[in-house]
Amino acid sequence: MQRLTDVLRRLRPGAGGSVRGSGAGGEGEPGQTASGDGSDAGDERLRADGGVAAAEETGGRRSLLSSDFVQSIPFWLPPFLLMGFFVYGAIGWNFVISLTDFSGLVLPEYDVSNFDLDMYRQALNDPTFWTAAQNTLVLLVVFTALCLVFGLLLAILVDQGIRFENTFRTIYLLPMSLSFVVTAKFWAWMYNPEIGMINVTLSQLGLDVLTLQWISNPDTKLAAVIFALIWQFSGYAMVVYLAGLRAIPDDHYEAARVDGASTLKMYWRVILPQLRASTMSAAVVLMVFALKAFDFLYVMFGNNPGPAADILATMMFREAFGSNQWAYGSAIAIVLFAMALAVVAPYLYAEYRRGEL
Amino acid sequence: MTGTNDDTDVSRRHYLKAAGAGTLGVTGLAGCMGGDSGQDETTTAGEETTESDATEETTTGGDSSTDYNTLEVQHWWTGGDGEPAIKALFEGFAEAYPDIEVKQNPVSGGAGQNLETVIKKRVLNDNPPSSWQAWPGANLQPYIEADKLEDIGESVWGQNGMKENYLEGPKEAARPDGTFVTVPLNIHRINNLFYNVSVVEEAGVDPASIETPGDLVDAMETVESETDAVGMAHQTSSAWSTTQLWATVLLGETDVETYNAFAEGEVAANEEAVTSSLQTVVDYTDYLNEDAGSVSWTEANQKILNDEAAFFHQGDWAAGMYRNQDGFEFEDDWDHVPFPGTEGVYALNMDSFPFPTNNPSPEATAKFLQYVGSVDAQERFNPLKGSIPPRTDVPSDEFGPFLTRQMDDFQNSDSQVQSIEHGLAVPPNPKSNISDAMAGFISNWNVDKTYGQLEQAFN
Repeated sequence: MQRLTDVLRRLRPGAGGSVRGSGAGGEGEPGQTASGDGSDAGDERLRADGGVAAAEETGGRRSLLSSDFVQSIPFWLPPFLLMGFFVYGAIGWNFVISLTDFSGLVLPEYDVSNFDLDMYRQALNDPTFWTAAQNTLVLLVVFTALCLVFGLLLAILVDQGIRFENTFRTIYLLPMSLSFVVTAKFWAWMYNPEIGMINVTLSQLGLDVLTLQWISNPDTKLAAVIFALIWQFSGYAMVVYLAGLRAIPDDHYEAARVDGASTLKMYWRVILPQLRASTMSAAVVLMVFALKAFDFLYVMFGNNPGPAADILATMMFREAFGSNQWAYGSAIAIVLFAMALAVVAPYLYAEYRRGEL
Repeated sequence: MTGTNDDTDVSRRHYLKAAGAGTLGVTGLAGCMGGDSGQDETTTAGEETTESDATEETTTGGDSSTDYNTLEVQHWWTGGDGEPAIKALFEGFAEAYPDIEVKQNPVSGGAGQNLETVIKKRVLNDNPPSSWQAWPGANLQPYIEADKLEDIGESVWGQNGMKENYLEGPKEAARPDGTFVTVPLNIHRINNLFYNVSVVEEAGVDPASIETPGDLVDAMETVESETDAVGMAHQTSSAWSTTQLWATVLLGETDVETYNAFAEGEVAANEEAVTSSLQTVVDYTDYLNEDAGSVSWTEANQKILNDEAAFFHQGDWAAGMYRNQDGFEFEDDWDHVPFPGTEGVYALNMDSFPFPTNNPSPEATAKFLQYVGSVDAQERFNPLKGSIPPRTDVPSDEFGPFLTRQMDDFQNSDSQVQSIEHGLAVPPNPKSNISDAMAGFISNWNVDKTYGQLEQAFN
C-alpha cells in the first residue's frame, strides 16, 4: 500500500495534498479515524500528510531508478510476455520452420546445421510465387491508396454539416461490419455477367460495350476484387478521417479563408497536412485488411484464384495445407511479413522522427 | 438419496435419474463409469446426465464389460445430404455396438478442406482421432510415407467378407501402398453426363448416341441452334469442376490405361492425348452458360432444373438437387448417361475411414471400421447421401431408380478408375500443381501453357 501510494505520488507530481489525503490517511492510522476528524482538522491533516511523504521519499531515494522499473513491471510485463510469445514468438518459430525442409507428415528435426535458405531460393525460382507477390503488392498499394482517397472524399463531404449526417455515416460504414464471406458472395452475384447488377445496369444505360466477365476475365479479375474491397473499407477510412477533421479547429479554415485560399488550396495546404496521423493509422489498418483479403478470395474462387488474382496468402495456404509443403509455406509467410513490414516501417520511422508516435 | 426431505429433493433426483437412464439407454446405472467403482451411484447418474446434455453428439453405451475407449470420429458431413446419412450410420453403429461411446467431432467445410487441416495438425502431433473421413487412394500417401496408418488387412478387411465383396477399384484405393489402411464407405461417380430431357428432346438430340467427347460439341451446337438453352451448364469460378471435366474427357477420348498413365505422372508420353482433351474442353467453353465464371456448381445445376441448359457434367452428388426438386423426375425431366466414351468405366470418388497409428481407441476403431465395411452401414448411409455402396452385395431396394442404375453400372463395369480431382489417383503435391494449372486454364483457356504446367506437375 505504501509503495503504491509512493508510485502514484511520483506519477502525479503536481497533485495536491487534498487529492492524496485519503491515501495518506491509510498509512498510519485507520482511515475512519482520519475522516472522522471532520473539516475543522483539515489543515492539520494536510500538514501531517506532507511530512510523511517527505520522510518516505528520503527513504526510497536509494533505489529510485530501479524501483520505478521494478514497480511498473506488473503493468507492462504481462502484455509484453503475451505479445512476445504469441506474436513475435510465433513469427520467429515460423521463420525457423522456413529454414528447415519440413514437408509431409513427419515433424522436422530442428538441427541448426541443417538450416538453410533453400525454401527462399525455391520461391525465387517459382513463377507462381512471383505472380502472387506481384498481385499482393498491387492489391496492397492500390487498395490502400484508393481506399484512403475515397475515404477522405467521403469524410470531407460528410463533414460539411449536411443533414442526416449520422445516417450517411452509418451507411458508408456498414459494409465494413459485414464478414468477407458475405461480401464475397454478394459481389460474385453483382459481377455475374448474366444477372449481375453491374452488367445489367451497364446494358440498361446502353453501354453494352463495357459489360465484361468481371471476375473470370483475367484482365479485370484483380481490379474487380480491389473494387469490391474498396467498397467495403472506404467507410472505415472515412470514419478515421472524419475524426481527424473534427479535431482541426475551425480557426484554421477561417484563417485560410481570410488569407484568400481557394477551397482546393485550403484542403491541400492546410487541412491535409494535419490529417497525417489519421492517414497513418487508417493506412496501417487497411493494409492489414488487404493482407486478410485471403477470406474474400477464398470464398469467391476457392483456394486457387488463378494467376490473375492469386496472392501470397492464398498461395501460402495452398502450399502448406494443400501440398503439405510446410517449410515452403512458412517461407512465403515470412516474405509476406517482410512485405508488410517494408510498407509500414518507413512510414512508422518517419512518424517517429517527427515525434508523432 | 438424501433421507431428510423426501418429498421435494428426492423427486427431483428421481427425475434426474430417470432422465439419465433415458438418455443413456441403460437399465442399471451401476458400473456406468467403468473404473470409478468407488463413486456414489446417484452422483454418477447426475454427472452423466449433465455431460450428455452438454455434448449432444455423445451417445453412451451402458454396461462396459469390455473396456472400450471413446471412439472419436471426425468428418465434414455437417449439412446437405451428408448430415442425415452420417446420422443414420451412427444410429446403426450404436445399435450394433451399444457399449462403445462415440464422440463425433465434425469440422464443416465442403470437400473437407478444413477437416484436412485439423487432421494434419493432429497427426503431426501424434494425437489423431480414432478415425476420420478421408479420400482414399493416393490422397493418403503422405500418411503412409510418414508411417501414420496401420495395416488393417486382417483386423478389418478380413472380416464380413469385405475382400470378396469390394470390387478391384475400391480395394485398390483402400491400399494405396499395397496394404489395406482404410475402409471406403461410399462411391460418387465422376464420369456422368446429366441432361434435361425436355431440352434435348426439343433439340432432337439423343444423348445415348453421343459416342465421343468430341461429338458432344456437335450435340451442344444443335441444342443452341434449336433451343434457347445453353449447351452445357458449368462453373469456372473455381478450378475443381473443370479439372473433373477435363479428366473425364481424357478418359473418354482415350482409355483407362492412358488415364492411369497420366495419373502416374507419364504426361510427356501422352502429350497428344492430354492436349487434345484440353482442346476439347476449350471447345466446350463456347457452349457454357455465360456466367460460368461467377457461379457455384449448384447455381450452374439450377440451370438444368430451370430448362436453361441441356447438359451438365458433375459428380453424381448433383443428382441430389434433382431429387429434392418437386416435379422434376428422373427419366421424365432429367436423365443420365455415362460421359461419352466412358461407358463401362466407373470413375470413383470415395470417402473412407482410415486407421491411424497411436490410435486412442484401437479396439473400438477396429469395430467401427468393420461396421463401416458392413452391408448394414452402407445400406443406411448411401441412399441418404445419394451415393452407392462400394460393397456389391448391398440390396438396392432403398436406393431409388437412379442410384439403382448407377449400382448396376458399377457392378457391371469393366474397370473403375480413381478421381484425379479428388486426390484418389494423384498424391496431394502433384494434385495441387494440377489444380494450379487448371486455375490458370479456366481463365486463359490456353492449351499449350496448361499442358506445360501439367507436365511439370509431377516433378
